[in-house]
Amino acid sequence: MSWQIRIEHSTGYRYASPVISSYNEARIIPQTGDRQLTLEATVRTEPASTTYRYWDYWGTQVTAFDLHTPHTELIVTGRSVVQTAPAPARPTDVPGWDGLTDDRVADRFVEFVRPTVSTPEHPELLAAARELAAANAPADFLPAVGDWVREKLRYQPGTTEVRTSAVEAWQQGVGVCQDFAHLALVLMRAAGMPARYVSGYQHPSADAAVGETVSGQSHAWVEGWLGEWWGFDPTNGVPAGEQHVVVARGRDYNDVPPMFGVYSGGASTSLGVTVSVTRLG
Amino acid sequence: MADLFEGYPVEVAAAAAWDEVFDAAHRPREVYTALHDALQPLSSSDLAARKIALDRAFRDAGITFNLFGEERPFPLDLVPRLLSCDEWDVIERGVTQRVRALEAFLDDVYGRADVLADGIVPRRLVLSSSHFHRAAHGIDPPNGVRAHVSGIDLVRDERGHFRVLEDNVRVPSGVSYVIENRRAMTRVFPELFSTHRVRPVADYATHLLHALRAAAPPEVADPTVVVLTPGVYNAAYFEHALLARQMGVELVEGRDLSVRNNRVTMRTTEGDHPVHVVYRRVDDDWLDPLHFRPESMVGCAGLLNAARTGNVTIANAVGNGVADDKLMYTYVPDLIRYYLGEEPALDNVDTFRLEDPDQRAHVLDNLESLVVKPVDGSGGKGIVIGPQATEAELVELRARVLADPRGWIAQRVVKLSTSPTLADDRLGPRHVDLRPFAVNDGNRIWVLPGGLTRVALPRGSLVVNSSQGGGSKDTWVLAPERVAPEEAALLRRRSGLTQAVAAGPDLGPHSSDEQQQQQSEQQNQQGGGLC
Repeated sequence: MSWQIRIEHSTGYRYASPVISSYNEARIIPQTGDRQLTLEATVRTEPASTTYRYWDYWGTQVTAFDLHTPHTELIVTGRSVVQTAPAPARPTDVPGWDGLTDDRVADRFVEFVRPTVSTPEHPELLAAARELAAANAPADFLPAVGDWVREKLRYQPGTTEVRTSAVEAWQQGVGVCQDFAHLALVLMRAAGMPARYVSGYQHPSADAAVGETVSGQSHAWVEGWLGEWWGFDPTNGVPAGEQHVVVARGRDYNDVPPMFGVYSGGASTSLGVTVSVTRLG
Repeated sequence: MADLFEGYPVEVAAAAAWDEVFDAAHRPREVYTALHDALQPLSSSDLAARKIALDRAFRDAGITFNLFGEERPFPLDLVPRLLSCDEWDVIERGVTQRVRALEAFLDDVYGRADVLADGIVPRRLVLSSSHFHRAAHGIDPPNGVRAHVSGIDLVRDERGHFRVLEDNVRVPSGVSYVIENRRAMTRVFPELFSTHRVRPVADYATHLLHALRAAAPPEVADPTVVVLTPGVYNAAYFEHALLARQMGVELVEGRDLSVRNNRVTMRTTEGDHPVHVVYRRVDDDWLDPLHFRPESMVGCAGLLNAARTGNVTIANAVGNGVADDKLMYTYVPDLIRYYLGEEPALDNVDTFRLEDPDQRAHVLDNLESLVVKPVDGSGGKGIVIGPQATEAELVELRARVLADPRGWIAQRVVKLSTSPTLADDRLGPRHVDLRPFAVNDGNRIWVLPGGLTRVALPRGSLVVNSSQGGGSKDTWVLAPERVAPEEAALLRRRSGLTQAVAAGPDLGPHSSDEQQQQQSEQQNQQGGGLC
């Protein structure tokens, strides 16, 4: 049974001195795909601007805008209504490790099997990945990776930032959903499984009441190639289902930042991110 | 009087370099006969005097790159390099063909990527190229052109065959030398231009401006073109200024441009003025701080999205560097077959792909006899010439290749052809290459007749890059003879020519319209050469 969810996502910056000119891109519009349908999506900025939308290389709908009136605060708000589907059953007709990691698969998904700045190689992580891959068939591998990551990382907001790599988070033993996802990606890629980063939102409650607005999360999880892409949330140890709303997919966080831009001016403070979600049905 | 070419060594061994002027029997090749006859009677002191005049001509034109401490001066040698119209025909066809294939490839990899799906080029090669810019995906240039200007580097091998050494479809530079070399040479050697039918180069800027205007958004009736330079401290600033001046367009820096609502304007004393085509001489990485290096001060934020909306055209297009990747280069003959259904008119230099385990093993066993190059280097940076490297350099190279096989290619050491070059008051053989420039206006690819001949000034050196102490030569493409045979004989007698310098009019590949055009261009050039 599918869900219908309304999401309101707000993010912004405050500047020490007025900013005269600023160029930005937001990636906050949920995707329409196999298991998800975006019914409505608007992006507004304060100060107001004319926005321009395009689809980027990764298939993410980007909202670009520039501002030329002096401002000391910039707030971007995305509102969307999305229909989501329950988690699909774990794929059964999965090729074995040999089939998953052969040259044709590796070439087809080359971007998702190579290390990145945020998901670098590490000998100990490689060893751990090999051990998990030896003990698990590909279909069982993602949940096993999720268990391993949750054993090594304690969820604690504020301990890492967007540039923290998976290896750094692992060494510190703490992180947020982004770090959980990055660390899972390192292990999956080390085992040769094509793996991608997913950014989006999560409704916090599996038995959410219809019509009740609650505080949600900007979230990140992973997808592995098992002959088809299959989503898994290593932070929560569950497959991605109707509580998960996909905004963007890429190699790591850097391909899908919800908000980034350049401006000329003094220092800025992040106003943080607020996400509220309402299950509409 | 001593023969100026006396003692000019021409090796006859099979592996010896091809000499541009002399054949193995030390006879001047047909195309050089007139030049040889004209130069031979000159004494060393004549030559020295002309050299001084040549240097002065350069100084007067303000070609003093060393001023900014960024690059050495690029000395112009006295002896021009000549190409017969038959030789040029092959080069022109080969360069045009290559540019057509590279254009098709760029359009494909930033769009449907059929070439990857069809397995012509491994997907991993393209997607792992540091110049494959995903931010450029989905930007469709208005008239389809991405390589408005290309520089295809050629070398001539031991058997006299031209081979492609590399492709430059990012921001190829050096054309200003071609233009200025010719200007200086016509001042210093006017008589040579009266005995040779040299195809002109002075109209390069006209062709470039035409191509840039043709690339503008279609709804703009009278597009504004600008040249975007990183500024006066850039090594090629002189060229940027020269091209802007010759095209009659503004030379701007990043701070002169701004983007609002995906429209580009430049600040002028009369207010903001819309801009439709940016001929940028700023590298991708610095072009748009929103998508590339955020700290860049030489670019213009928002430019890429302005191009994406079709309001402005960036020339050359962002992301072209994926076609310059030297590993990609090894696939260009395949691309010519795949996209054009033709056989390459110009061959590559034999190249090993170090990603391939067997080729890598072979190369590592033979490092001391090969040239090894980083795939994304330019200007000769990082190249290791095996026969000239020390043992320690080869050990280091081996480690670097093993650490990153994708990052390197290896080539046979081609003994580049030699051309007589003035050094220490004498003419000695020095190795040369050739960079022809092609301009694509969307309908036709025009190749500037000639191009930049670079010459390695130290004896025996194979490194011609200006950043490595290279010089240059004026490069003459001889036009086909258009005069009646009796008249030609008369002309030859008058000018002391003993042999015809070029083939008859029916041998050229050009249409009669083009012949007409060449002829009138030719007249212009001769007029200029004689004053």
